[in-house]
Amino acid sequence: MTIRVFLADDHPMTRAGLRDYIKREEDFELVGEAEDGEEAFKGIKEKQPDIALLDIRMPKENGVALTRRLAAEGLETKVIILTSYDAKQYVISSLRAGAKGFVLKTASPEELAKAIRTVASGKLYLDAEVSSSVHDDFSPEPLSNREREVLLKAAKGLSSKEIASELYISERTVHAHLASIYDKLGAKNKTEAMLLALKYGVVALEELIE
Amino acid sequence: MKKHLLILLTVAILLPSFAALFVAGLGIVQHRRAMEMVAESYVKDIAQSVATQIEFDWGSRFSMARLHAMAKFHWLAFNVSIPGWLAIIDSEGRILVSTAGAEILSSLWNREIPVETALELESPEGERFTLAVYPAGTTGWFVVAAVSWDKLMGPMIKFNRWPLLVGLIGLLGLLSVYALWKWLVAPLRNLSHEVSTLRWGSDLPEKEDPMAVFEVDRLRKVIYHLAQSAIDRAQLMKRYVSDIVKVQEEEKSRLAREIHDGPLQEVTALMQQIRLARMELEGHEESMKRLLLAEEEAQVAVRDLRALCDELSPPWLELGLKEALEELAERISKHFNVTIQVEVHRGICLSKDMSLAFFRVVQEAIHNSYRHGKATKVNVKVYESEGYVFLEVSDNGIGFNPSLDVEALRLSGHRGLANMSERMSLIGGSFEVFSEEGKGTTVLCKVSATCAFA
Repeated sequence: MTIRVFLADDHPMTRAGLRDYIKREEDFELVGEAEDGEEAFKGIKEKQPDIALLDIRMPKENGVALTRRLAAEGLETKVIILTSYDAKQYVISSLRAGAKGFVLKTASPEELAKAIRTVASGKLYLDAEVSSSVHDDFSPEPLSNREREVLLKAAKGLSSKEIASELYISERTVHAHLASIYDKLGAKNKTEAMLLALKYGVVALEELIE
Repeated sequence: MKKHLLILLTVAILLPSFAALFVAGLGIVQHRRAMEMVAESYVKDIAQSVATQIEFDWGSRFSMARLHAMAKFHWLAFNVSIPGWLAIIDSEGRILVSTAGAEILSSLWNREIPVETALELESPEGERFTLAVYPAGTTGWFVVAAVSWDKLMGPMIKFNRWPLLVGLIGLLGLLSVYALWKWLVAPLRNLSHEVSTLRWGSDLPEKEDPMAVFEVDRLRKVIYHLAQSAIDRAQLMKRYVSDIVKVQEEEKSRLAREIHDGPLQEVTALMQQIRLARMELEGHEESMKRLLLAEEEAQVAVRDLRALCDELSPPWLELGLKEALEELAERISKHFNVTIQVEVHRGICLSKDMSLAFFRVVQEAIHNSYRHGKATKVNVKVYESEGYVFLEVSDNGIGFNPSLDVEALRLSGHRGLANMSERMSLIGGSFEVFSEEGKGTTVLCKVSATCAFA
């Protein structure tokens, strides 16, 4: 079964490279290309691809905003965000907007293919470079229900104080929960904990979407 | 030694007044003495000459009738010029003949009055006389001549009014001192107080002082204009610095954007092409190796370009302050042994300028914390309270002595604190550093929460 792919990137050279990456794989079909957000929205709506590769920085509408708009349209297309910048906050923003994958433009053809296949099969894919120190064979100690709640609220951007007031616990307890979460996942901070939790399947991607 | 102006003025007013008073007093005393002597010799002369006359006449045919006639002829002539009186008395003090005004003698007379000399006497009413008594030969009568001081000296100042005069001059002196105090010294003091507490470049003194003398008011106006021009200069400087910072930021973000959209994309594309070429060249071991090397070089270039962007103006700044701070924390803690907690309360009203200023302050503060403070933990907090947005960066580092002048630090090449302070002042906020050696450092910024400027 072929996976229908749409590509949106404002830079012609990188778009050409990515195009060649996709064309190398026999089970991928490139159904359309766009060089800005507006054009991409129209193309995706028309072609209804399985996968949309969206550059995070594009004229008219950026990748994250476009992802949110596509999700709001109720399209089935799964979005993989492309970026040349390894910022974890880009990953978080993309995932919150509803993206299912995050790949750096410097990824190898094999990595890109893997990402497309993984996301097409309904799973999450994060570039190894942005979710560093992730070991595929590592299975973390499960989080308690309270810890899961705290982590999800933190992932949605709430401060410790706000989490405390929403869960009717003290701020100190929130910090204790967070420390325990970091410990279990081997994370250094909230961002990393969130990415690792997603990667390990401790929390589901859908729970993160605003 | 410095003298108080008021003391100088008091001395300048009171000293001449009292000196004049002293000289006047001295003159009066001298004059009185001269008058005394004149009066004494005068009464003596008259009494003696009248006594001699009586004695001379006594030898011939003398009688009371003759005495009266003589008095009429000789003495009444004296009456014109005597500012006193003349009398002839018997040994009991009874007046035989006299000029007008001699009635007072009855209250002055006593037997102890020496003869042939002048003396001063005071009547029970307090009137003073210089008086001389001469015996009139063998007649057993006495001639009394007297001058009344009240008539002689008249309106001349008397010693018993002296304290009143001193008091009056003192009072006038004090009034003058008070006037000088009110219109000169006090306005001068106010002016110097205002100037000494003036924050040059932001405060203005009062333009006018209605109580001040003209010269002091002029001085005040000069200082007012100086303060005004200091404010103009400070504002110009602020605008200038603001423009520099703005242009710098714009230039940085323009460069970062150029690098991101240009070289970074191009090197990425280059890498992609090398990879594709490598796949097509399977079997050509030498060429494959060369391409692999080229690919690795491109990889390094991408990393360098990203680092350059990060340093200039990271593109993820556009995600918002919270995200930008978390990304910053993430990146710093990846490279240095420091744990950074970021807490940004939601729904805080932050303009673009404020976000950027906060980001730069946090960047600098964290840098200071691990570089100079050797901190292992840093807490970054952004919250809103009572109409203000606060940014707090605290660490567990070694701290420092914050009494060190920011200006002095800047001159010695440590621009960090000055930069942070400048950043905050440009968005109209305040900047404070709390630190103590061994007790960590806290940086606190406060800006009024308004989205009016973007």
